[in-house]
Amino acid sequence: MNLKQSLIIAVTLSVISIFAWEFYWRNQGKIPDLDDDKNLWAVQRARVEDASDKDVLLLGSSRVLFDIQLNEWEKETGVRPIQLACAGSSPLPVFHDIVNNTNFTGTVLVGVTNGLFFSTTFPEAGPWKRPQTRVDYFKDRTYAQRLNHWLSLPLQKNLVFVSTSEEAWSDDIDLKSLLNSVTTGNRSGKPEYPPFNAFAYIEEDRNNPMSEKTATDTAFANGIKAVWKMIMTGDGPPPDKEATTKFFVADAKKFMDRGGNLILLQCPSSGLLKEGEKKFMPRSEFWDPLVEATNAKAYNYEDYEQFQNFECPEWSHLSASDARFFTTELVKIMKADGALSNSKTK
Amino acid sequence: MLFNSLSFIVFLVIVLVLYYAKLFNWTNKKRMLLFASYVFYGLWNPPLVILLWISTMVDWVAGKNLAIEKNQRKRKLWLLLSMFVNLGFLAFFKYRDFMLDNFTAVVNTYGYGYQTQPMDIILPMGISFYTFQTMSYTIDMYLRRTERARTFLDFALYVTFFPQLVAGPIVRAGELISQFYEEKRATINQFVWGLFLLTIGLFQKVVLADTLLSDTADTVFGSKSILHGLDAWTGTLAFSGQIFFDFAGYSTCAIGIAMMLGIILPDNFRYPYAAIGFSDLWRRWHISLSTWLRDYLYIPLGGNKHGIVRMYAALMITMLLGGLWHGAAWTFVIWGALHGIYLVVERMLKTKIHIKIGPYNGIVLALLTYTLVNFTWVFFRAREFSTAKNMIASMLFLNGEGEKVLYSFDIIKVFIVITLLFICHWMMRNTSMKAVSEKTSPWVLGVFWAIMVFLIAISQGSGEQFIYFQF
Repeated sequence: MNLKQSLIIAVTLSVISIFAWEFYWRNQGKIPDLDDDKNLWAVQRARVEDASDKDVLLLGSSRVLFDIQLNEWEKETGVRPIQLACAGSSPLPVFHDIVNNTNFTGTVLVGVTNGLFFSTTFPEAGPWKRPQTRVDYFKDRTYAQRLNHWLSLPLQKNLVFVSTSEEAWSDDIDLKSLLNSVTTGNRSGKPEYPPFNAFAYIEEDRNNPMSEKTATDTAFANGIKAVWKMIMTGDGPPPDKEATTKFFVADAKKFMDRGGNLILLQCPSSGLLKEGEKKFMPRSEFWDPLVEATNAKAYNYEDYEQFQNFECPEWSHLSASDARFFTTELVKIMKADGALSNSKTK
Repeated sequence: MLFNSLSFIVFLVIVLVLYYAKLFNWTNKKRMLLFASYVFYGLWNPPLVILLWISTMVDWVAGKNLAIEKNQRKRKLWLLLSMFVNLGFLAFFKYRDFMLDNFTAVVNTYGYGYQTQPMDIILPMGISFYTFQTMSYTIDMYLRRTERARTFLDFALYVTFFPQLVAGPIVRAGELISQFYEEKRATINQFVWGLFLLTIGLFQKVVLADTLLSDTADTVFGSKSILHGLDAWTGTLAFSGQIFFDFAGYSTCAIGIAMMLGIILPDNFRYPYAAIGFSDLWRRWHISLSTWLRDYLYIPLGGNKHGIVRMYAALMITMLLGGLWHGAAWTFVIWGALHGIYLVVERMLKTKIHIKIGPYNGIVLALLTYTLVNFTWVFFRAREFSTAKNMIASMLFLNGEGEKVLYSFDIIKVFIVITLLFICHWMMRNTSMKAVSEKTSPWVLGVFWAIMVFLIAISQGSGEQFIYFQF
C-alpha cells in the first residue's frame, strides 16, 4: 500500500473535479450568493441588542424583504434599517420577541401580508414555526455556529458550488437538492408543487433585491406564479383573525406604551394574487380593523397614487427597480407625516 | 464543535500545526491538546466545561486515594464518591425530568393530582460518554486492574481528549493514558491513513447519513398517519443506515484524527449489520459501550458464572440499562429489552440447536439478524409508543390500506444504499479496512478517496448534529 501516492491522486482528482463542478454551474448561469438562513438572520437580530431609539427594524414576510430596499431607506433617512422580515412567515413571533426580550424603543415597521399575518398563532404551524425557529436559534446559537457562519461567508460569496439554502429551493445544487429534483413515482397521490426556484439575491445585511432574471424572464416568473396559484387553490386552514389580532395588539400596546414607534405597512401585489387577496381577505375585514385596534401609524399602498401601477413580475413582490422607487416614495410619505419621528432625518 | 464543520477544519489545522511545530516539548504539547479540547467543548457551551473539570478533579482525587489507600472500606468510599458524582451528573442532567414524570405518574395513580414543572435543563453534550469513561478509571483502580495516571495532565487529557470526548469511543484508562507518557508523532503513513479515515467518517456522516437517508427516515417517523408497509420498512431501513453511518462515521473520524496525532484509539464498529446473531452483533456494534457494560455491569451482576437464570437476569438488566443509557424515555428501555430478549432467546436456542455456519446459511442468518434489529430501531427512533406500534403493525403488513408518504425514487434510493451497506458489511465481515486497502492499488484507493471528497464537497453538511451527541 502506497498511501502517499493515493493521497496525491486523491488531492489532484478532488481539486480537478470540484473546479469542474464549479465551472459547470457557472456556465449554467449560477452566480455565488448568500443563503438567507437562520445565521444571517441571527446576526441582524443581534444588532437589535445595541440599537438606539433612532434605529428602524423591518419585520414582516417576504414582501417587506423584497420591497423595502435598505440603500434607498438609508439615503432618505440616514439610518440603515435592520432587516428582520422572514419569507413565508407571520411577523408576530419576531415582534413578540422584540417587544418582550429587548428594550428597543425605536421604530418597528411591520409588513402586513394578510394571508400570513392573520394565518395562525399555533406554534407548530409553518408561518409561526419558521420565524420562531430563527428567534430560538438567535438565543441558543453556539460560539461554534457563529464561527462556522463567519467562516462560511467568504466561501458563499465566491463559490457557486457551496450555495445551498435553508429554504431548499428547487434549483439548489447541493447533492440532496439534486437528488430531490428526481420526483419519479408520486405514490401518495397528493398534488405536487411545481418547481419553486430562488428569485432574489440576498446581501450580508439581508438587503434583498429581486433577481434580474425574475423581472425580465417571463417564463421564469411564471414558474413562481404557478407556486402561488397552487398555494391559493390549496386546502390550507382558514385565517385566525381574532387570535392573531388579539396577540399582535397586546404586543403593539406594550411596545407603544414604552415609547416605541410602530408602523404598519401593506405592500403591493398584482394579478391573480391581488384578486384573491381582495376577494378572500378584504381590506375592510382585515387591514382596517387591525389598524383601528392597534392605533398605530399605517400605510397601505392602495392609498397612494404613485403606487397604483406596480406590476409585480411574479404577482407578489416588486422588481428591484420598483422596490427602490417604492422605498424612496414610502419614506418620503412617512417623513412628511412625521411617522419616522424616532429616526434622525436629513 | 462538529467534525463536519468549517470551524473544526480550522481548529484541526491549528492543533496539528502546533502539535508538529517544534515550539513545545511533550508536556507543553499535552497542555496544548488539553486546552484545545476545552476549546473544542467550550465553543458549544462554555459553562458546561465546569462539569468536565469537576468530573476530572473528583476522579483524579478518587484514583489517587484508591492507589494509596489500604483500608478496603475507605477504598469503597472513594469509589462510591466517584460513582455518586458521575452518576449524579447523569441523573440530574439526563434523567431528572424522566424520573420526575414517572414519579408524578405513579403518585397521581393514587389520586394526589401532583403537578411538576419540567426544568428543561440543557443536556451537556456527550455527558454519557465522558462520565462512563472516567468511571471506568476509578472502577479499574478500585479493582486494581489499572495503574494510577502518572500526572494530573495525563489524566485530564484522558478525560477530555477532543477526538473522542463527545461521542466516543469510550476508551479505558489502560488503552489511552499510557499513550500520553511518551511523545507521540504519527508516521507519514499513520498520518495519511488518519486523514483517509477522517474522510471516510465524514463521507458516512455527510453523504450517506444526512444526504441520502435522513430525510426518508424523518418523513416516515414524523408522519402522523398509519403507513403502508413498504413506507414503514423503507423508513426503518433508512434509519438503520442513518444511525450506523452517523455513529460509525463519528467514531471513524475520531480514530482518524487521533491517529493523525499518533494516538491509537480502539475500533468501535466492525461491520455490525453482517452479524450472525445478537451476541455477534454486540461484538460489532458500539464495541466500546458493549464491552463497558459487559465489564462493569454484566459481569458484576454475575455474568455466566452463577447459573442460567442469573445469567439471563444479568443479560436483561444490562440491556435494559443499556437502553436507558441511550435516552431518558421508555422507548429506549423497550429497545434495550428487545435486545435483551433476543440475546436470551439466542442463548437458549444455542443450547438446543447446533448450526454450522457456512457462507450460504451465514448470509441468511445475517439477514435474519438484521431484520430483527430493524424492529428494535423502530422503538429507538419513534418518539412515542403509538408511532412505534403503528410502525410495527405496518412492517408486519397489517395495515394494508396504510398511507403512502414516500416517492418511488426515495424507496429505490434507500433500498440501493441499504443493499450496498449489507453487502459491504458481509464482504468485510472477517477482515478490516486496513487489510483491504493494503491489497488495493494506490490508484484505485486514490480515486475512491477523491470521489468521497467530491461528494462531501457538493453535499455540504446540512446535519448540525450527530445523533449520538444527545446520549
